[in-house]
Amino acid sequence: MKKYLKKLMAMSLAAVSIMSVMTGCGSNGNSEEGQSASGEKTVIEYWHCNAENQGGLAVDELVKNFNESNDHIEVVAKYNPDMYKGLMQNLQAEAATGNTPAIVQIGWAFLDYFSNNFAYTEPQEAINKFDSEDATFLQDKFLPNILELAVNAEGSQVGIPYSLSTPVLYINRDILREAGLSEEGPKTWDEVKTFADTIKEKTGKYGFYMQEPADFWAQQGIIESNGASMINTENGNTEATFASDEGIEAMQLAADMIKGGSALHVSWDEGCQSFIDGNCGMLYTTIARRASVQKGAQFDVATVKSPLWGDKERKVPAGGCFLAITAQEDEQIKAAWEFEKYLYSVESMAAWTEGTGYVPPRNDVADAENGLKTFLAENEMMNAAIDQMDGVVSWTAFPGDAGLQAEQMLLDMRDKIFGGQISAEEGMKSTQDAINEILAAQQ
Amino acid sequence: MKTKDLQLGWHTLLAVIVFLMLIPIVFAISNSFKTLQDAYNTVFQVIPLSPTVQNYIHVFQKLPFVRITINTFLIAATVTLFKTLTSVFAAYSFVYFDFKGKGILYFVMLSTMFIPFTVTMIPNYLMISKIGLRDNIWGVALPQLADVLGIFLLRQSMRGIPKALIEAARLDNIKHLKIMRDIIIPLVRPSIISTGIIFFINSWNEYVWPVLILKSKENYTLSLALQMYISAEGGTEFTIAMAVSVMTMIIPLVLYIIFQRYIINTFAMSGIKG
Amino acid sequence: MNFEDKKQSILGYAFLLPSLLVFAVFMFYPLFYTFYLSFFDWNMVKPVKEFVGLANYIAVLKDPVTWKIFGNTVLYLVILLGFNFVMPYILSFILSNIIKKGQGFYKAVFFLPSVISLVVGSILYIWILNPISGPVAIIAKFLGLSIPFWSKTEGWVIAVLCIITTWKTFGYNFIIILAGVSGVSTEVIEAARLDNVPMWKIFKDIVVPMSSATGIYVFITTIVQGLQYVFTPIKVVTQGGPNYASSNMIYMSYHEAFTLYRTGTSAAVSVMTMLLFIILLILEFKFVEKGVYYEN
Repeated sequence: MKKYLKKLMAMSLAAVSIMSVMTGCGSNGNSEEGQSASGEKTVIEYWHCNAENQGGLAVDELVKNFNESNDHIEVVAKYNPDMYKGLMQNLQAEAATGNTPAIVQIGWAFLDYFSNNFAYTEPQEAINKFDSEDATFLQDKFLPNILELAVNAEGSQVGIPYSLSTPVLYINRDILREAGLSEEGPKTWDEVKTFADTIKEKTGKYGFYMQEPADFWAQQGIIESNGASMINTENGNTEATFASDEGIEAMQLAADMIKGGSALHVSWDEGCQSFIDGNCGMLYTTIARRASVQKGAQFDVATVKSPLWGDKERKVPAGGCFLAITAQEDEQIKAAWEFEKYLYSVESMAAWTEGTGYVPPRNDVADAENGLKTFLAENEMMNAAIDQMDGVVSWTAFPGDAGLQAEQMLLDMRDKIFGGQISAEEGMKSTQDAINEILAAQQ
Repeated sequence: MKTKDLQLGWHTLLAVIVFLMLIPIVFAISNSFKTLQDAYNTVFQVIPLSPTVQNYIHVFQKLPFVRITINTFLIAATVTLFKTLTSVFAAYSFVYFDFKGKGILYFVMLSTMFIPFTVTMIPNYLMISKIGLRDNIWGVALPQLADVLGIFLLRQSMRGIPKALIEAARLDNIKHLKIMRDIIIPLVRPSIISTGIIFFINSWNEYVWPVLILKSKENYTLSLALQMYISAEGGTEFTIAMAVSVMTMIIPLVLYIIFQRYIINTFAMSGIKG
Repeated sequence: MNFEDKKQSILGYAFLLPSLLVFAVFMFYPLFYTFYLSFFDWNMVKPVKEFVGLANYIAVLKDPVTWKIFGNTVLYLVILLGFNFVMPYILSFILSNIIKKGQGFYKAVFFLPSVISLVVGSILYIWILNPISGPVAIIAKFLGLSIPFWSKTEGWVIAVLCIITTWKTFGYNFIIILAGVSGVSTEVIEAARLDNVPMWKIFKDIVVPMSSATGIYVFITTIVQGLQYVFTPIKVVTQGGPNYASSNMIYMSYHEAFTLYRTGTSAAVSVMTMLLFIILLILEFKFVEKGVYYEN
């Protein structure tokens, strides 16, 4: 017995010491190692939110190629779990200790919060300072409505759009056929409701699911496409305006489908799973889930553009993120811009799109031979998202410190309306008032 | 006859609970060998129709998985070693020494059991960052080098040893460290092993604190690797998540199966005497 | 004070020092710092913390959401106590006094999930309990039943998160209670049986009172640990939703700190949670420690 314990102790001690050596004394900060090993290399940190199945491999590949292709910059990529919110949390905690990474992905919803709370360098400023021969890079390579996405309430170009996703409607053609519906899918939201009801009636399966994660993104799409707008900014004062007749009509339609039993009211993962395993006929979610849907589905699956309201204009919010430079010293900013520019090259953009399923923000990548031409020909499900690029609008970010709270109130409102505890009109009006109250308090 | 029927009824109930306890583990193993399509479409097929090790291959190829396992092990081993050492000393002190304020100190230590982790999370994060251990596995281990549960359990079993034994040794002028090493530790060895195993397993499974501290993939622990496959914008890679889950479970399960008797006996003791 | 006493004291403190040091730096200092933060308005980034006095506490107490979450916390406690305290108590009694066989086996199996990560448990249960296409839903459908959309339904969501937590913690409590129940003198029970006292009465009037020290210990750890254990499923499965229906006080302080960045509010909630626990701590010392600690 005694021997046993001693052996165990000795073994675990030995194992600890051996493994310490193996991992280079645990993990004494890669950055330091990088610096000492390569002399004058500038080491910069790039923070991203791309998990292994969501572009993480593409990030590693791009960073590796960049590090090999130059001799003066070493990029260290750091993954942040829990999406852009998780990254923002880490950045928050990091800034509290006085450090910052050099370049970060910022989710659209955090545009204002980020620019109000953190020090950043505008891309044009970095270009003027360190890359003046290519001064019109931004204007040449990006559509104005796309660049506009990363401009905050004060008019500052906070960063450059990088990952772009939009909501599309995924359809299960087998189910549509079984229910005797057009396999082209619905074009308008009224048709979506008719389709969903018919599916429920004819097949007994659920007709529709609209994503309900911890953001209001997809709901903004349906509300704004009906001509309502989430906010209105006048003289620098922002006001919530989503509880207009059009906005209420949109939310009520979604709530009615749930109440009638033809649409699901479950979590995002549950909803997607139900579509993928053939228990739900239509799924309204981000194009970024295309690969996962394609991989799991055993039926004739397709995507169609985000549905319209009658003949009104399509307005789909941009998901994904932009890149912002948070480096503080000149040398770091310079390195950050050099890396960022590499990320926006046609080849890098194409690799990025293939790896993530996002839509490229640069205007010339989709058709370029060294870009995405063949990829798009092989992955038709991407086209719905590419084709609705002209309808992309900003993902609403409420300004100031109260912004995050306002976003939270929208989620609470959605839960109540979809849960049937409250009508769309009542819920939206009271929430709009409450949001305007906290916005007014900080202005 | 009647009691026999009754017995059968109770055994059936217990069997149902056994089933409910074990079935999730069976599902995890089964799904880790399925394709995503099979996992969604052949739910009850416990033996996969077309078994695949693709999920495991993905994990080893696409992740620094060996490194991640070593990190998890290093943190758990360090935490276990220190918690056990500090607990043995503290428990010995509480049982065999008399000094002022002993009761209060014991009360103070016991009270740490009642501090919810949310209370210490932010200040500890700031502290670890300040001393430069952020994104470092030792930053995860550092705040957890002592544990009241160990002190509590070891104190409990040391009190079971007759005091006369120690007093006799003291009369022979044997030093306390020697008494501890040669008499006490051998006598409470089963408790030390089982508290150690529990420390190891708990640290191995830890989730919230490492999420805050570790950033780079090379420094990840298994729970964080698992987190990458859920709640992502691209959708949950369920079967891969199951493969990572299975790999996360293996070590704790093996340890438990080997030391099962010790662990259960030690914990059974913890409640009886308060 | 003679030499031996002095030596005893010095060694006594010295042996305690390592543990005390760790607790002081990583438990008690943070505790006071959090208490300090609860009087300030801060978001972890701003260079200046603004002193606001009791405003954070007042805001928290005035917010109807707090009361909803407080109600949830109570509901969590009731369900967790049912699953992790009452059920193991009854089962322990059955196992030690009625069927008596297979104790070792049941203990070993019930404890098994305790060694598995709750993150693993949560992911597994999301799949098992998927209300449309999970295995449970399919069986229910076969029986003509349907599963509620629990992740979006008030009440149900808490019940399911408790089930996930119970999967992990049930065995641990079961083992402790079983030891306590087995410790009750068999002679007393046999005597009562010969007098034809019904089993439930034996349980209520003999076993429970005689194992009450263990009982109170498990009762309190279920409350204190249970609320913290349930954090992981909340974070992984629902993030407190829908409309705060699955949030509890532990999750609320996390949410305030790391989603809304209101460190002051978060700290105030943490302090209030602490207060609740301190009351339990006092109870524990009054009923459990006192009876045993000075006894032998």
